Amino acid sequence: MSCLPNGSSSPLAKPLFRSPDSVDPVMPRFLMLPLLVAVIAGNAAAADQGIEFFEKQVRPILVEHCYECHSAEMDVQGGLRLDWQQGIVAGGDSGPAIVKGKPHESLLIKAIEYQDRQLQMPPQNAIPVAQQTTLKRWIKMGAPDPRTTAPGETEEPQGMSVAEGRQFWSFQPVVAPPVPRIDSDFVQTPIDAFVLQQLQQQGLDPAPPADKSTLIRRATQDLIGLPATEQQVADYLSDESANAFCKVIERLLASHHHGQHWGRHWLDVARYADSNGLDENIGFGNAWRYRDYVIDAFNADKPYDRFLIEQLAGDLLPAASDETITATGFLQLGPKVLAEPDIEKLHLDTIDEQLDTVGKAFLGMTLGCVRCHDHKFDPIKQTDYYSLAAIFRSTQTFGERKNGAIKFWYEHSVGSDQDKERIAEVDKQLAALKSAASSFRNKAISELRQQARTQAADYLVACLHFEPNASLKQVDKIAQPLNLHPRVLLHCRSHLEFHREDPFFKDWHRLAKEATPDALRKHYSELFQHAEDAFAQTQQQTPKTKRLTDPTLEAARAALDDHSGFLAVPSVDAFAFDSETLTEHHRLLSIARAFETTAPDLPELMGVCDGEVTNTMPVMIRGSHHNPGAAVQRGFPEVMRWSNQPVAFPDNASGRLELAQWIAAPEHPLTARVMVNRVWAWHFGQGLVASTENFGVMGQRPANQPLLDWLAAYFVRSGWSVKALHRIILNSSTWQMASTHADASHCQSIDPKNQLHWRQNLRRLRAEQIRDAILSVCGRLDPTVGGKTLPLRNRQFVFNHTSEDHTTYDSLRRAVYLPVIRNNLYSLFTEFDYPDPTMPTGVRSQTTVAPQALVLLNDPLILDSATALARRITRDSPHSTVSQIRELYSRCLARSPNEHERRLATTFLEKDIANPVQRLAMLCQAILCSHEFMHVN
Amino acid sequence: MSFLLPKTRRQILQQSAIGFGGLAMQALLAGEATSENPLTARQPHFKPRAKRIVFLFMKGGPSHVDTFDPKPLLDRDHGKPLPFAGPKVTFAKQGNLLRSPWKFQQHGDSGLPVSELFPQIAKQSDKLCVLRSVHGTNPAHGAAALKLHTGAEQLVRPSFGSWITYGLGTENQNLPGFITICPTLAHGGVNNWGSAFLPSHCQGTPIGNASLPATQANVKHIDNPHLSLHQQREQIDLIRNLSQPFQESTDAQEALDSRLNSFELAFRMQTAMPEIQDLSQETTTTRSLYGIDDPVTEDFGRQCLMARRFLERDVRFVQVTHSDSFVQWDQHSNLYQGHTKNAAEVDRPIAGLLQDLESRGLLEDTLVLWGGEFGRTPTSQGNNGRDHNPHGFTMWMAGGGVKAGFAYGATDDYGYYAAENKMHVHDLHATILHLLGLDHQRLTYRYAGRDFRLTDVAGVVAKDILA
Repeated sequence: MSCLPNGSSSPLAKPLFRSPDSVDPVMPRFLMLPLLVAVIAGNAAAADQGIEFFEKQVRPILVEHCYECHSAEMDVQGGLRLDWQQGIVAGGDSGPAIVKGKPHESLLIKAIEYQDRQLQMPPQNAIPVAQQTTLKRWIKMGAPDPRTTAPGETEEPQGMSVAEGRQFWSFQPVVAPPVPRIDSDFVQTPIDAFVLQQLQQQGLDPAPPADKSTLIRRATQDLIGLPATEQQVADYLSDESANAFCKVIERLLASHHHGQHWGRHWLDVARYADSNGLDENIGFGNAWRYRDYVIDAFNADKPYDRFLIEQLAGDLLPAASDETITATGFLQLGPKVLAEPDIEKLHLDTIDEQLDTVGKAFLGMTLGCVRCHDHKFDPIKQTDYYSLAAIFRSTQTFGERKNGAIKFWYEHSVGSDQDKERIAEVDKQLAALKSAASSFRNKAISELRQQARTQAADYLVACLHFEPNASLKQVDKIAQPLNLHPRVLLHCRSHLEFHREDPFFKDWHRLAKEATPDALRKHYSELFQHAEDAFAQTQQQTPKTKRLTDPTLEAARAALDDHSGFLAVPSVDAFAFDSETLTEHHRLLSIARAFETTAPDLPELMGVCDGEVTNTMPVMIRGSHHNPGAAVQRGFPEVMRWSNQPVAFPDNASGRLELAQWIAAPEHPLTARVMVNRVWAWHFGQGLVASTENFGVMGQRPANQPLLDWLAAYFVRSGWSVKALHRIILNSSTWQMASTHADASHCQSIDPKNQLHWRQNLRRLRAEQIRDAILSVCGRLDPTVGGKTLPLRNRQFVFNHTSEDHTTYDSLRRAVYLPVIRNNLYSLFTEFDYPDPTMPTGVRSQTTVAPQALVLLNDPLILDSATALARRITRDSPHSTVSQIRELYSRCLARSPNEHERRLATTFLEKDIANPVQRLAMLCQAILCSHEFMHVN
Repeated sequence: MSFLLPKTRRQILQQSAIGFGGLAMQALLAGEATSENPLTARQPHFKPRAKRIVFLFMKGGPSHVDTFDPKPLLDRDHGKPLPFAGPKVTFAKQGNLLRSPWKFQQHGDSGLPVSELFPQIAKQSDKLCVLRSVHGTNPAHGAAALKLHTGAEQLVRPSFGSWITYGLGTENQNLPGFITICPTLAHGGVNNWGSAFLPSHCQGTPIGNASLPATQANVKHIDNPHLSLHQQREQIDLIRNLSQPFQESTDAQEALDSRLNSFELAFRMQTAMPEIQDLSQETTTTRSLYGIDDPVTEDFGRQCLMARRFLERDVRFVQVTHSDSFVQWDQHSNLYQGHTKNAAEVDRPIAGLLQDLESRGLLEDTLVLWGGEFGRTPTSQGNNGRDHNPHGFTMWMAGGGVKAGFAYGATDDYGYYAAENKMHVHDLHATILHLLGLDHQRLTYRYAGRDFRLTDVAGVVAKDILA
């Protein structure tokens, strides 16, 4: 992955100096001078000749072919400049471009000679051989070059130095700031003091508190992702005790639905999915164990440092268990190019994905940018990247086996011998079902072939009656009465056309012109008969015979035997078979597939383990494994280190445990900040740092850093308890504000994005909340918890090349349990901004587009739910429209309808009384589509 | 900030989203807030040669040496080993050189050689701009298809259709800007028309998929199985009425109003789509031009005709995929039979589309792009197949401001590697954007702290093919 500072080469202002850690391009020039002087003094005439040669012959070549990508004025790709002497000598990322006097050792020559496929320059075309010779001659001469001064630098952005980086806000240690002392009712928690201080500085007032019924609905959606029932709202409204809201919070935090909702938040970050979905889409049959692990962790309030360590190194903990090993699924869940034939590239791409995910999820750092070069903005160096990469190079992510071109990811086997026997039996049954389908097909094909073979002469005669470009329809008319297969016949005709010079089929073209159809038939019937007889006879004598000696007979035999020859049967089943055969084959396939999708797998934990440990890893120049550079030791990014003590990595372990413990240390400047920011964002719809995955230079600065740091320190002090964060946030006045503000337009003009929190945000429900709310209010939500829900066996294809879509999302369990099938996500979810499960997402976008309305208007889940609710309400109160409407509002919106709403609904129901249940269902659906149902205010 | 000192590039980069991406994003946000369709047509960077594009994707990798890139030496040296080193990484063991079973002939005034696999397209050869030096990087279907569609193979990036929709918006407010007809769900699948980090309205709208016949291809959720359009109209009015009081009680009236308007747009789409997909409105002559009257060409012909109906309604990007329940053009074996069948299925529909676009005056500003995710090796796999070859292969363009009756670039003498005027997939993308009036270096989008481009850090516009 390469970073993109800015595509345009527009001449923006140039930096005045380079950052101190970069190589000073001026210095080597001084070193060079004496040498150059010596050359000139030694043989002035030769030098003059050399310069002349350069000017006349060499410079034009460089300008014409090289400057576009390798000069300060245009671009400096690969770090190489060919626009001045020292640029060529020093070279680029791959090393010096020339070795003076030795053209054949010079990279430049290697590149222009176009012999090495990995290094060909210029990329579009090789330069003419004469020019290649010129350049070789020039190098042989010692590469005389008068361009001793460097033209102006390009404005390649340089990342910060490590020293600069340590001054950057997010790399500084977290120090809890003092809580501002402000005398106000608004200050119920330290959070409020920090918020109010900022608001006051801007001359803004916070919005008033939300009313109680808004509050309980908000809290319920926020903590468990479901709507509050009318009863829950009523109970809270009637509870006048001082801690009434605390009770609500505790009830919700104790509900197992809490983990189902908050676990899903983390699954966004973990780019969780149940299938690979990159080049090849096959099922992650054991990913669900990681999903359940995450849900359990949030329900149990597993300390976040522990949660983090388990996900990175749960297999290496002294007390490793199935649970902690399952957690390492985090590293395994990424999309992989499973059919990548270049194994080294596969490993490096996989490590890159793991590093990028770890960086974004835990550190708010875009480490993936550093694979090819030092970070263009952040103080992260390429050496930092490969120090980390060495840890993952020592980790085993792939298993030993593969299926064809598709590699297996690693899984920890935990099955007993008994399990293995049981699964072997299942495999046997499955193989039998599959082979039933394939042998049925093979038999049908060979019957078709046999039939065509017996009619070989008929086909050749029928071909006389149409041209090769005839339509299948025309051919069909000829084929039917002769009992021939129209597609075989059409193919036969074009085969004859394409093989008109083939000695065997030349005859056909000759006979077609010269002879009658009967004569042609006679010719071929006899020929084929002779060939068949001769072959049968020969085989009787010498069974191993494969061919006939007579060339004419042999040609006939070979033509008949050639499955892709003139009688080839269509390769597409639908074209080859009649509908009866097709249906039967399809039936057999369906049986096999149905068996397979529900067949048990050997119990395995999808995760990583330690592999062959390597202490060092080469820095891959420009990220290419074809171009390894100097090796670096395992280690952590320098800018984030708080101790000068070098890390002692064990020789017999990857170092993942050390890495995990280092990230999870209280001293780490980023870890706690990144996580409290995530939790904040999930409560408010946006983070204090808006770019939840990027705490670097290109990310946003914190809108309220004292608050962020205070929360981070609080988080660590509370033992990394996420529930402690929930409690303090939900009890704050900040969270409890109304989503409307009396002076909204003024506040908006000062803080349009509400980063200062002058009101709560009105938020549309997330995709899963929409679905779960609909199912829940319509009484259809299935409460089953946990377990495998992917309707595929481990490593079974979601789609193979057939594109047949067997995925269904009709389970009525909570949304978190619906399989996440990359490349075939649930459309209801994707329309409502479900994240791309190939990369960590902290804050989902919230768009409004027409396809969302199409889903709400036409998706079966919604239609069926509305109908179910209408039926239920009709059953409960069959005669009273008023009570039906009352019931509808109670269930959907946890309140009674007002007069206006009652009138609207009544008018709608009474306008068409032909099908009252359908009409009521239409009304239900309209309420489910309404603003109030779809938003938390 | 001083007005005298220009900011350094680094400062600008660090502080704001610059370039087209940033501006477009702001326009987009403004559009959302004022309840306009965010897809509203936008100005290109410079005068475009093409307004819209249709991509005829031949899934599986059609063989260039058997179709548009004749190689006399391949014929001469049939059966001999490749006289230079092949790539280090291949799927199958490399066999000896395999001559093409098909003959090439020069066609039209331009004399472009086309093999006898495509007799109808050959007649249109004076419209073609054949790119004989395309090359990619990955020899596996999935990675190569992703590279071709998104410019990246191991990372999920926006499809080039999404980039174009993002850059140019759409002219037709009732339809999506990017439509993909019967796409394959395998080998990258959705990612091949996904918008990744671009706004979700830039993603392609699939109509059916490769396993379904074109007659059954539909946009998901486009119709309601129970209710009439009249009833739905009533229901949408009811949603508006029921939502109004809530809307008025909030500070977010404009945003919520745009939500109600999205129901109106959905309703218009729902009404428009079946009408466009109804091919019975076309004359018998037109239907026959696309081969809809013949079972061999019917399915792909329907897709192509549907594509034309979308194009003439100013859908920006239409993709048609030739793929079925097999990896269509992937002839590791049975080259002869497989390519014969595949070519027969697409030859007439494609030629028909070219003629039809021309006769309707659409060809001049519609870019037609044809090709697969890679080509095939000139060497044999087994005795009658060819392996994948991403190192040099052919795609062709027509219409939309490219030279007609023109061949650009070349592979080596045998057709293994791109050799002259090499055109990497990034270069192809840069060129396509250029034809549509977009500068591939300026079409950027800020995501996760970086400005992303379709062409990453590469891409050279092939100026020689511009008409």
